[in-house]
Amino acid sequence: MDYKNVLKELVGIPAVSGFENVSGARIKSLMVGKCDEIMIDSFYNVIGLKKGNGDNRKKIMISAHYDEIGFLVKSIDDKGFIKLTSMGGFDPKILLAQEVLIHGTREIEGIIGAKPPHLLTPEETKTAVKLVDLSVDTGMEASEVKKIVSIGDIVTLKVPFLELQGGKVSTKSLDNRSGVAATIGIMNELNDKTLKNDIYFVATTQEEVGLRGAEVSSYNIDPDIAIVIDACHGDMPDCSKDFTYPLGKGPAIGIGPNLHKKLTKKLFDIAKRNGVLCQTDVEPGNTGTEAWAIQVSRSGVPTALISIPLRYMHTGTETLDIADIESSVKLVSLFLAALDDEMEETV
Amino acid sequence: MFELIKNLTDKFGVSGNEEEIREFIKGEIKSKVDSIEVDALGNLIATKKGNGKKIMVAAHMDEIGVMATHIDEKGFIRFSNIGWVSQNYSLGQRVRFKNGTIGTVFFEEKLDDLKSLKLSNLYIDIGAKNSEEAQKKVNIGDTAAFCGPAELAGDMIISKALDDRSGCAVLIETIKNLPKTDNEIYFVFTVQEELGLRGAKTAAFRILPDFAIAVDVTLTGDTPDCKTMEVKCGMGPAIKIKDGSVVCHNDVRKLLTETAKKLNLPIQYEILERGGSDPGAIHLTAGGIPSGAISIPCRYTHSPSEMASISDIDNAVKLLKESLIG
Ligand SMILES: [Zn+2]
Repeated sequence: MDYKNVLKELVGIPAVSGFENVSGARIKSLMVGKCDEIMIDSFYNVIGLKKGNGDNRKKIMISAHYDEIGFLVKSIDDKGFIKLTSMGGFDPKILLAQEVLIHGTREIEGIIGAKPPHLLTPEETKTAVKLVDLSVDTGMEASEVKKIVSIGDIVTLKVPFLELQGGKVSTKSLDNRSGVAATIGIMNELNDKTLKNDIYFVATTQEEVGLRGAEVSSYNIDPDIAIVIDACHGDMPDCSKDFTYPLGKGPAIGIGPNLHKKLTKKLFDIAKRNGVLCQTDVEPGNTGTEAWAIQVSRSGVPTALISIPLRYMHTGTETLDIADIESSVKLVSLFLAALDDEMEETV
Repeated sequence: MFELIKNLTDKFGVSGNEEEIREFIKGEIKSKVDSIEVDALGNLIATKKGNGKKIMVAAHMDEIGVMATHIDEKGFIRFSNIGWVSQNYSLGQRVRFKNGTIGTVFFEEKLDDLKSLKLSNLYIDIGAKNSEEAQKKVNIGDTAAFCGPAELAGDMIISKALDDRSGCAVLIETIKNLPKTDNEIYFVFTVQEELGLRGAKTAAFRILPDFAIAVDVTLTGDTPDCKTMEVKCGMGPAIKIKDGSVVCHNDVRKLLTETAKKLNLPIQYEILERGGSDPGAIHLTAGGIPSGAISIPCRYTHSPSEMASISDIDNAVKLLKESLIG
C-alpha cells in the first residue's frame, strides 16, 4: 500500500473531536473492499468486521482514533473577528500566524492574527499568549461572517502535506491518522487470508476529549483482546530520552499496568521472530490512550498498545517516518495471524 | 412559574440528601404520569408510557452545600464542601441544616489576607454556647444548604439552587402540559449531579433510552468584566454544543434547533469550556446514548444569589415539550 497517499487522504478529512458526523462516511470509504462488513455507530465510530472461520472464535478489536484536535467558533465580535475554543490540547503559542479553515455553511479560510513586534508591550514579549487573546480574521465584516459562520462551527488548521527527506512526512493530524493508516494497512494485508478469529477494525471518535469513542465501541463490541494503535513522542532536540522514541526504529510496544502482560509479550516475541523493528514504551500508569478506557470496559479486556513515534505532537507540523507505519502493519498482521494457533498462550 | 421555582428552591436537597426535594416533586407530578419510582441512588423516575421512541429527560434535583466535619468545644462547626463551593461566596452567608438549624458562615478574623481564604478558615456559628449545646442540633456528617430565598426582580429570579431547580421546574411544567404522544418518556430528577453526575449514570443504565435531553443551567457572558461567552440571560434557552463532559450529539442538537425554529423561539448556543453536566454521564452509558441539553442561562452560579430569567425558563418548557412529541 502507498501509505503516503493514504495518509494524505486521511489528513484531508476534517474530524474535530465530537464532530465526526461529517467525516465517518469518508473513513468508511477507505475500508470498503478490505473486510466483510462496515458499520458506523451512533458515536460515528467506523467499524470494519473481518469474519473468522474458527469454531471457538474470539473477538479481536484493533482501535485507532480518527478524531483530531481542533477548534469551535466561540464568538464573533462586532468587527467580524472570531474567537475560538479548543477541542483537545493545543499550545496557543503554535497558533500565532497560522492559517485555518472555518467549516461554516461553506468552507472559508482565515488566519490567526499575531500582533507585530512593534506593538508588543515589554510585558507581552515575556508572557505566553493565551487562546482567549487570539482571533481569527477572515477579512470579512461581522455581518458577512455571520451569514456563513455560526457559534459551534468547527475550525481546523490549514497546513500543507510536506514530504521531507528520508521517508518522513510532516502535516497536521498525523496523531492519529497514522494509526488509522496502519489499521487500513492491516486490513489490506490480511484481505486475502481467512483467519479463525473475528477481527473488528475500529476507527474511533472523541479520543482527544476523553477516550469516549473507544469507551462506547469497546462496550458494544465486547472484545476478548484489544490492540490500540496511537502515536507516541518521537525524539526531538531538547527533550528527555525517557519519553521520546527515535523515528524509523519501529513502533513502540507499551509495557505497564494498563497493558496485558502475556499479550504484550506475544507482540515482542512476534516482532523478534520475524525481524520486525520495535521499541519499548514504558508506561507506569495511565497511558493516556484508548487502552486506558478499553482495559476496564465491562468486566475487563486484555489490551495492548502500539505507538508510532511522532515528533511535534499536537501541532500543524507533526512529523513521522512512513517506515514506522509499515512496521506497525507488519507486526499486527503477523500477530493476528499467529493467534490462530497461539491464542491460549496469549491471553 | 415563579411560585413553583420559589417552592422548589426552598426545599432541602444537598447532594446525597435529596429526600425533601424528591417528596415535593413527587407530589407535584404524581397524578400526571403513568408510573413513578425511586431507584437505589434516589433518582426519581416518572414515566409516561408509550410505544414510540424511548426518551430520557433529566434535571438534577440536588444542590451544593456543606457537611459538618468537626464541632469544637465552643460549639463552632467546621465543614467540608459538597460539590463545588466557593470560600468567597460562602463568607457571611447563612446555611440551613436539614432539621432547620440556621447558622452563619464566617472566617477566622486573624487571617488578614482574604486572598488566601480557604474553606478550612471558615466555620459555622449556630449560636450554641458550647459543644454540648451544638451537638443537640448538629452532628458531624450532617449537611446544610445555603440560604437564599427566591425573589422576583423584573423578569429575573434571584435565588439559591436555581442550579438546577429551574431545570426541575421545566420538567414539572412539561409533565403537567405534555400533549398527546406515542413516545415513552422518562422524566428523571437525578441525584448527586454536583458530586460527579452520579445519579444520571445509573438512571441512564436502567432506562437505556434511544436518546436523552437534560435541562440544567449554564454560565453567561453578560456581567461586568466577565469571561467571553456568548450566552446571555433573557435571550432564550441555550442549546448545548459542548461542555467539559460531553459534546452533544448532532441529532439531538438538530432536533432542538429545528423545534425552536418551528416554534419561532429565541435560542442561543452554549459552548461551556469547563464543568460537566448530566449528559456527560448519560452519553457514555452502555455503549453510547445520543445526548443533548437545554441550558438555562444563569448568572452567579453556585452562589446563594443565582439569577435567571423567567422568560428563558418559560421558553425552555415550550422547547422541551415540542421536542418530545415529534
Ligand atoms: Zn447543575
